[in-house]
Parts: sequence; structure tokens; C-alpha cells
Amino acid sequence: MSKINLSSAKSGAVTIGLPRAMLYYRYEILWKNYFSALGVKYIVSEPTNKEMIKTGSAYAIDEACLSTKIFMGHVNALIGKCDYILIPRVSNFGFRRNMCTKFEALYDMTCNIFRKSGQKFISYNVDELAGLTEEKAFISLGEELAFSRKEAYSAYKYAKKAEADHNRNRVKTQETLYKKGGLKILIASHSYVERDAYIGKPVVTYLKKMGVVPIYADVVDRKDALKASVKASPTLKWEFSREIVGSIQINKDRIDGIILLSAFPCGPDSMVNEMVIRRFAGIPILNILLDDQDGTAGLETRLESFIDILRFKGGDL
Amino acid sequence: MKEAYLGIDIGSISTKGVIIDEKNNILASSYIWTEGNPLGSAKKLLALLEEQFDKEKYKIVATGTTGSARNLVGAMVGATMVKNEITAHAVGTTTLHPNVRTILEIGGQDSKIILVENGVAIDYAMNTLCAAGTGSFLSSQAKRLGVEVEEFGEIALSSKHPTQIAARCTVFAESDLVHKIQMGHSKEDIIAGLCKAVANNYLNNVGKGKKIVPPVVFQGGVSKNIGVKKAFEDALGCEVIVDENGHLMGAFGAAILAGRSSKRREFDFSVEDMEFKTRDVNCGRCPNNCEIICVYRDGVLIDSWGNRCDKGAIKVGQKAAN
Repeated sequence: MSKINLSSAKSGAVTIGLPRAMLYYRYEILWKNYFSALGVKYIVSEPTNKEMIKTGSAYAIDEACLSTKIFMGHVNALIGKCDYILIPRVSNFGFRRNMCTKFEALYDMTCNIFRKSGQKFISYNVDELAGLTEEKAFISLGEELAFSRKEAYSAYKYAKKAEADHNRNRVKTQETLYKKGGLKILIASHSYVERDAYIGKPVVTYLKKMGVVPIYADVVDRKDALKASVKASPTLKWEFSREIVGSIQINKDRIDGIILLSAFPCGPDSMVNEMVIRRFAGIPILNILLDDQDGTAGLETRLESFIDILRFKGGDL
Repeated sequence: MKEAYLGIDIGSISTKGVIIDEKNNILASSYIWTEGNPLGSAKKLLALLEEQFDKEKYKIVATGTTGSARNLVGAMVGATMVKNEITAHAVGTTTLHPNVRTILEIGGQDSKIILVENGVAIDYAMNTLCAAGTGSFLSSQAKRLGVEVEEFGEIALSSKHPTQIAARCTVFAESDLVHKIQMGHSKEDIIAGLCKAVANNYLNNVGKGKKIVPPVVFQGGVSKNIGVKKAFEDALGCEVIVDENGHLMGAFGAAILAGRSSKRREFDFSVEDMEFKTRDVNCGRCPNNCEIICVYRDGVLIDSWGNRCDKGAIKVGQKAAN
């Protein structure tokens, strides 16, 4: 990575592009506040649409998961519209707190795929097993953008606080949903799947239309969830999966059913979902695999019948 | 004049219809192939039902549709109830077999399991978006082997040593099958192996982690295959019931649901003489470019679907452009 010209980054002439995909849904608040605190401009790609999936699929290797393909579509949409596109490399947060391999590879993969575009990319590297904490990563990122260590540190701290407040509020709002009447369905899915405008959101919208209260499993106190996940599986090593499984463990008695929503072919989910179905036997579970198939008929049949069965159980049909 | 309810189940492979009275007795029923033309086969089905139906004694006051073409045919017949096939089957079977605990179902393109307790469905699972081990898989393998799929079961029963075939994925199963044929395995052993593979694949996939308690009812098109029925009995170690009306269960359930709902609209057999057309429109109002299906009756739009947002909403009542 080349050092960025000091005057241009500081004078606000540099624009960072944030692809609205993958880790964006987890770090949106952190990223935006960090760059704002430093006075760096940023732009975000539009919500996912079919065209993006089409171009993304053409760029990505075909074995990649649907979310990776969508990510490439977002990167493509930002090319030429910003100076740098941010693609972090996040490997792990410690022992048995790994990220899916794609988050380690995403930066290199993307640089390689778009090597002929002339677009520049910027990254930060989190690998706690190698001593690289998120804080260190954001200080390096700031230095890369020609800010001082101190400036980068205080911007990170400011952003981190905003993120903590935001997460706490989301958990609090969600807590009210658990207490709501009606059929409550826990959506066990990665944030970049369930909140994606094209693949995940239609599922949530459909559930709401059917009068169901959808609740996101990953909106949970992360520390509590990590702890609780050990009960379901002591060896599970993927951070996101542990949060979701831990959330199921914590909330399983407050919900009527679970929908496992995965992007095809997600590696961690292919194992974790099997485990969830076995460990949480007794709770109605619907396993949905999203791919770029256009027809929604199969999806709606599954969702509608799942809800019917839950209502049958309650004796309301 | 007594009330009657019509139920139509339009699957990918076959189209089924029943008319029932208020006590759930079947007054008329029919079962034909869809042949890739749901609207045409629905018309044909209605003509067959009309022949058996006593219009002097009964009138149809509610209509239910189910199956993968439920929206399309629902728009055509003016259905008062449009319900997914899983729910329709659960309702149909629990009405006829109130003691049932497990419903196994393998249709043309999907397979599902429904667990029932005290006549109420309590859990279910359905295959993911993959047609491995379903009716269409058996049909295509029958074609390859040069036998009618209807004869499959009988041929399978004559085998003493079913061939091991991997049926987890249709593509792999096919190459495995070709390999076994070339190795010299006999046709009946291969067919028996296929039936066994379908049953085992189902139990390991859809039935995974589910407690299968008798009485067990097996339905859907594939239940007509006695070879698969026997494979299930061998694997489960209990009797597997195949109702003689098992193939009609979706239509039966749809008719019951239509009857139970408070919505009423008299059904008129004259739809047989109307002209129904569908048209594919690409919305083009945003990059999603949704494919919208428009259904026209005698040139007037009666329904449309496929749009992801309101930008693609089309007004009912418009005349067809051409």
C-alpha cells in the first residue's frame, strides 16, 4: 500500500468508498464515525440490486459464496467514484474467535480481480493471535492516511464509543420485540445476508406481511452470546457463528421458531446449521439457502408453510 | 341446494382436483398431467370434474388452489383460498387419517416431512432448492433406462440384490447409474437400488433429526411407486400407509380450507370457455428489472405478480396491449 499524500487526505480531498456488503453491516457505525472524526469523506454504494449481483457474479470466482459475489458487485459500483475503497482484512479476535477465511482473503482477492481497473484500495489488518488488535489496525490505517498516531487513536476511540452506543440501543430495541405478542421468529443469519436489500430483506418483509415478529439473532450482547455459545458447542471457532448460536441458546425459550438463513454455499453455515438443527431439537427450525435463483415461489412456499405450521401448533388456523 | 367446495392442486408434474360436500365426502375427483401447461390442464381438469358433478343438487361456493401454480390458476378460477401445498396436505391427511403421526411426502420437485401430534402439525421440514431424489429425478432415470416410471415399483420388487446408488445429488446419481449399467448390473437391481436410494436420501436429508413415529402415511406422486414404499418400510421397520386417494390430498386439503374460510364466491364452470393468457413483462423501472407475470382473461388483466416493489405494480383491468 502506498502512503497517501498528506495534504490531500487532511484537506478532505480524499474520498473513501465503502461497499455496502459483507462487513459493512457490522462496522458501518465504526467506519463512518472514524472517517468523520478525521474529516475524511466517504461514499457508500447503493443497496444491492440484481444488476450488481450479475456483475459481481461475473467478477468473482464461481465457487465463492453469494455474499462474496454481491461484494464484488458493490466494489465494481464504486470504481472510479472514490480514491480508495476500504476492504479490511479481519482474521481473528483471539483463540476460537476466527473469522471465515473469506474475510482474510477479501482484500487480496478484490485487488487481484480489479487489478486492471486502476482503482486503489486501502485496508486494515486485525489478527489478534498475531498481536494485531483492532485498535492497532485503526491507528495504522490513520497513519496510512497521513494522520498522526494521536489523531488516529482519538478518532478510533470516538468511533468505538459511537459503535458501542449504537449496538446497545439495537439490543435494547430488540429486547422489546421479544416481549411483544404474536408469533416470534428468530432469524439466525449473518448481518450481511439478513440485511441485504436483494437477498435477505425480502424474507424479513414477507414475514412482517404475514403478521410475524421477526427478530435478528445476531443483534445480541456479543459477550453474553460468546459465553452462551459454549454450551451448545465448546469447540465452535467462528466468531459470527458463535454469536448467533449463543443468541439462540439465550433466547430459545422466548421464540416460536428459528429460520436459518444462509447464502449458498457458505462454508461455516453448512456445518453450524447442521449442528443447530441437532442441538436445538424441539424448536421448529426452517433452513433456507439463498442463491441467485430468481424465482421466489419456492422461498414463499417454505416461509408460508412454516408460519402455518407454527400457527397450527398454536391452534389458530 | 347443498354447498360444495372445489379444491385444485396444480403441481409441476400433475394437476389434481376434487369437489367435496360439507361433510368432506368426495363428490368428484380427477388427476391428469400438467404437461408444462398449468392453465390448459386446469381447464381440462374442470371439464372432467364437471362431468361427475351434480349441478342440480350442489353449488360450489368456495374454491381453493394449491401447488406450485396456485397463484396462476387461483387467478383463473377466482379462488377464495390460495394456500401452499404443505399446509394443504397436512389438512387433507389429518382429516382422513386423524391418528397419523408422520406424513412423508415426495412430489415432482420437492419432498417434505410433517410431524403430527393430536391431529395438529407440530413440525415439518422440506428439501432445499434442489430436486434430488424427487419424482422428476425418478422420471428422468426411468427415461434413461427405457421403462415407464409407472412400472418402476413392480420391477423394483422383483429384485433380490438392489444395486447401491448414490442419490444425494441428481448429477452424481446419474453418473453413478450409468457406471453401474456399464458394469453389468441388471435393470431390476438398478431400479430397486434407485428406489432404495430415494427413500434413504429422503430420510437422511428431509427426515434428518426428526423422530418418525407410526402411523406413517406416505403420499405425493412417488407414493404410487410400490418400490419406494417398500424401501421406506424396510428402513423404518414399520408399516407405511399409502392412501388410495393420497395423490388427491393437496386438492382435498385446499377444498377443506376453502370451506373453512368465511370467504364465499360462487364458482362457475364457464371459465372453461374463457381465454386465459399470460404475458412476461420486464419492469425496467430500476436495476432489479423484475420479471412481472400478467394474467389476462379475455384480453383484460385480472392479476399480476413478480414485482419486488410498488414501482412494478400494474393496474388490474387494463386491456392487453396487442
